[in-house]
Amino acid sequence: MIVGITIITVSILVNQVTKETFSKNNPGLDAVVGAKGSPLQLILSSIHHIDIPTGNISYKNARKIIKHPAIKSAIPISLGDNFQNFRIVGTNKSFLKLYKANLISGTAWSQPMQAVIGYNVSKITKLKINKFFVGSHGLIDTGDVHAEQPYKVVGVLKKTGTILDNLILTSLDSVWNLHSVTNKDKLEITSLLLKYKNKTSSFSFPRLINKGTNMQAASPSFEISKLLKLTGNAHRIVDYLSVLIMILSFLGILFTLLNNINERKYDLAVLRTLGFSRWKLFSIILSEGMIISILGSTIGLIFGYIVYESMYYFSIVGRSLELGQLSFLNDLFLIWIIVNIIAFITCLVPCIKVYKQNIRSTLLNS
Amino acid sequence: MLICEDISFDIDGQKLFSNINLNIKPQKDLLITGPSGVGKTTLLSILCGIQKPTTGKITYNSIDLYNLPENKIDEFRGKNLGVVFQNFNLINTFTVKQNLEIAVSAIDTKKSIPFFNILDRVGLANKSHIKVANLSIGEKQRLAVARAFVGDPKWVFCDEPTSSLDDKNANIIANLIKEESLRCKASLVLITHDSRIQTLIKFSKILKLGDEL
Repeated sequence: MIVGITIITVSILVNQVTKETFSKNNPGLDAVVGAKGSPLQLILSSIHHIDIPTGNISYKNARKIIKHPAIKSAIPISLGDNFQNFRIVGTNKSFLKLYKANLISGTAWSQPMQAVIGYNVSKITKLKINKFFVGSHGLIDTGDVHAEQPYKVVGVLKKTGTILDNLILTSLDSVWNLHSVTNKDKLEITSLLLKYKNKTSSFSFPRLINKGTNMQAASPSFEISKLLKLTGNAHRIVDYLSVLIMILSFLGILFTLLNNINERKYDLAVLRTLGFSRWKLFSIILSEGMIISILGSTIGLIFGYIVYESMYYFSIVGRSLELGQLSFLNDLFLIWIIVNIIAFITCLVPCIKVYKQNIRSTLLNS
Repeated sequence: MLICEDISFDIDGQKLFSNINLNIKPQKDLLITGPSGVGKTTLLSILCGIQKPTTGKITYNSIDLYNLPENKIDEFRGKNLGVVFQNFNLINTFTVKQNLEIAVSAIDTKKSIPFFNILDRVGLANKSHIKVANLSIGEKQRLAVARAFVGDPKWVFCDEPTSSLDDKNANIIANLIKEESLRCKASLVLITHDSRIQTLIKFSKILKLGDEL
């Protein structure tokens, strides 16, 4: 039972938190334009900061898209470096508005090599205002640092519960300076985060980009729903497996209790002769079964949560996931109730057997 | 007062016994004798509310035993009757003391039970933590007697309490039953085919199954 509930708990937590995180990380973006490649990879790298980018696009071309009449807002981002595995994102201040970010302390950047750090970044790396840090090349800490050009922390963001908490934001110029890109025609960015003026553009605009340029436009909602559908199948298999384990657990409880009362039928008959009523024995056996079930299901929930928390803290991917407002607790509680109701029904079988026991024949046969 | 009216019992349509009428006044005793197979143990089970008779009525102080719901019969037995079964019916995996404790927990009493005194009276005070499975037959018999009297019952039923014991142990058990009955002011119903019992306990009534009272 503990194993079954643990698996169900982990499955629910991962499923729910993944869905919640994907939804929270996207503040209403309609499209992401980036280098050609996997559209899902582009979305994951540009919005959710999980995957690596598909490549870079020319800033000159990007500016043409920004000025396109179908576009309401376009925010360029440039990835490439990290600090202790937290991604450094070169962007403009509209990015802060996009996520409705507020500062706990300091200000937004005003010069190159100034950085605003997310809440989790500050908490984990202990970086504070006016502290300096050096970025490492790549999106995972490899130790290959840009020691000659440190960043200065000028602001710390309030907790948002989104990916913003795990990002270090700076100006695009900082990224370009750090990588010694001086020729304005050769400036590159990773992607553009777009909102359309009109939702009808969601059909025509991507086609325009995908067919007419060497870039691609991907829809976050479409790509993420595709991903969730794929992972949903895996979740369903895990869920079926855990239901199977649960059924085996219930059968385990049933046969344990039946075997138990079979071994103790003489003792139970003796208890009746001493004055224990049928109902008293019925409730004793029911209590035994329910104690096993309640303990098993509760320990399973706790184990599941511990496994989930471990996954969260020990995986790099986990850093890009953010625990929600514990809305999943309702689902877990519902499962806990359902499991124990089924266990209750299962326990009734041996209880009824005890209730119907003929004490005289049991004692005579013993 | 215990009154039995026209008690009969059939097994597979065959009469085991019929028309048994008994009237046992408070603190009086009754010996039920007869050869093996006449239904002595069955009669005891009927009197204790363990086996419903085919016909007849059993009343304890105006309470019609078999008119009570099953749960109430069990509770009535626990609170008012003490039974020493022929094969003791002790819980072998429990210790001596635990067997008394479980009997007390069945009657739901709030008064504290002096287990040590009870075990001392039956000579098992130094064996309170020994498992029943490790006791001798005589010790088991004494424990069964102790358990029957632990809740201060008003009626005590003993089924063949001495038949498997030697003379010395039979004497000890018979005295014990007599003393405990007096202490509890209980009526005693004893069933046996052991002829020694009549020399050990003086009974005010004797019923020979098959014969008239």
